[in-house]
Amino acid sequence: MIDGVDKTGTFYEQMPRNELESFQSKALIRTVARAAQSQYYSNKFKENGLDVNDIKSRDDIVKLPFTTKEDLRLSYPTGMLAVSPMEVVRMHTSSGTTGKPTAIFHSQEDIDNWSELMARCLAMAGATANDVFQNMTGYGLFTGGLGLHYGAERLGMWVIPAGAGNTTRQIMLIRDFGVNVIHATPSYAMHVAERMVQDGDDPRSLGIKIAVLGAEPYSEEMRLKLQDLYGFTAFNSYGLSEMNGPGVGFECPYQNGMHVWEDSYLVEVINPETLQPVAEGEVGELVLTTLRRKAMPIIRYRTRDLTRVLPDECPCGRKHIRLARMLGRSDDMLIVRGVNVFPSQIEEVIMQHSWIGGNYVIYLTRKESLDQMVVKVEIAPGAFDGSIDTLRYRRTELQHQLKDQVGFNVGVEVMEPGSLPVSEGKAKRVIDERGV
Amino acid sequence: MYNEVSVFVENKPGKLSHIAELLGSAEIDILAIEVADDGQFGVLKILTSEPDRAWEVLSAANMTVAITKVACIEIQDMPGGLLKLAKALEAANLNVTDAYGCILERGKRAAFVVKGDNLEAIEAAARSAGLQPIESLG
Repeated sequence: MIDGVDKTGTFYEQMPRNELESFQSKALIRTVARAAQSQYYSNKFKENGLDVNDIKSRDDIVKLPFTTKEDLRLSYPTGMLAVSPMEVVRMHTSSGTTGKPTAIFHSQEDIDNWSELMARCLAMAGATANDVFQNMTGYGLFTGGLGLHYGAERLGMWVIPAGAGNTTRQIMLIRDFGVNVIHATPSYAMHVAERMVQDGDDPRSLGIKIAVLGAEPYSEEMRLKLQDLYGFTAFNSYGLSEMNGPGVGFECPYQNGMHVWEDSYLVEVINPETLQPVAEGEVGELVLTTLRRKAMPIIRYRTRDLTRVLPDECPCGRKHIRLARMLGRSDDMLIVRGVNVFPSQIEEVIMQHSWIGGNYVIYLTRKESLDQMVVKVEIAPGAFDGSIDTLRYRRTELQHQLKDQVGFNVGVEVMEPGSLPVSEGKAKRVIDERGV
Repeated sequence: MYNEVSVFVENKPGKLSHIAELLGSAEIDILAIEVADDGQFGVLKILTSEPDRAWEVLSAANMTVAITKVACIEIQDMPGGLLKLAKALEAANLNVTDAYGCILERGKRAAFVVKGDNLEAIEAAARSAGLQPIESLG
């Protein structure tokens, strides 16, 4: 409780398991009734012969149809709107990393709830109203910027809406205003650190204590590297615009899995082929249902993100379940020479080497009908010792490790620092030129 | 011992001319240059009278530069000039794996640049043969 007002939804955060589940049942009934107000779900329920009165508890979720990204596209622009347009106060679209964007609508209540969740995440990470927060991601249609912004304001933090890019100004603002909490994509945080090191500066001197990192998949090794460079604690954040954006899953100080706020989302993990739930703790596709969204409830949304629910209770005492780090988005998965490869597997290997900078690109080409994978890495500033033999040795070592990881030969190219493209939003790590 | 300037470069057209331009406009004289190439990337070794300033100029242009220690032995620029040094190294049982030479003054002085991890022994061997390691090329 802050100033006598429950700004972060502590009531929900501390719910015992049985109360949380009975709340979910009530919330699901309300969600289905609300969804039926939209053109899309009203048709869908009719098609499936579904009577909304048959949904009596959270266990009845299995009676409801799945919603896919394609359904969202087909109902574009407003087919899933469940309230009068007068009630809409904001819309966002997905980043469009996987095709045409989809539009998501929010009522004032939805924005308030989202802000509450985001504030809850930040408070869980240890941020307070005494801290200064710099938001280093883009604003606009991208949900990460405004989502974190509203959450930080809700918590009462001093918010600097720096936006993406302009590294020199970012560093200046952090220094001049004593910023100690930041939000950035992992690749941009890496870029800023490398720039500082190159300029003979030390990222630790910024005094940042908490970093919220999200919007793109990254490995545990990358997190450890960033924590080491800055001396901050980096918290993984999971979200997707269809489910508001950031604030769906977030790490507690134990940094072992992301708690999903189950007062707002009903979690299922399914086998993407059979669509049946996987056994407890097994890896599958994450399926989410909004439980508090008013303007645009989404039922059983197939996120295409692969993960698993961590067993056992978290030592932090929260009863909200934890998800393991996303294994990858099922559409991030590359098939190279018939082998399934996630870019995160490559990153895991790369990030173990201190001589490599934070930026890398995976190139795929086809030569004589055989897939070729080449990983381009940048030498880290200061890691060059003048010897070509050292470079050869390091490249060979990396090639061996990559082969061990994926099972086929991977080419390695060593690049000059700063030669690979830097993105301030989601990093583009894979360039696939194989054609079809 | 002498400071040699090494530059890491991706093997792309224009890299050498970029470096030559940077050093040229800073009026830094290149005494010798050696390119070690590995196909996709290479390392340029530059011998200059102003290694520290060359390092500064190239670093400021965001090039990946390192300073490495080499033994730079002055020999006579005449037939047989190298022999004296080679004999001294042989007598000291020193193996030379990476080296190059350059003329400092035509018909008078030349420099033989030797790399490796036994630079002190190389310099000592040269001294014992009456040859001088170069500390400054200014």
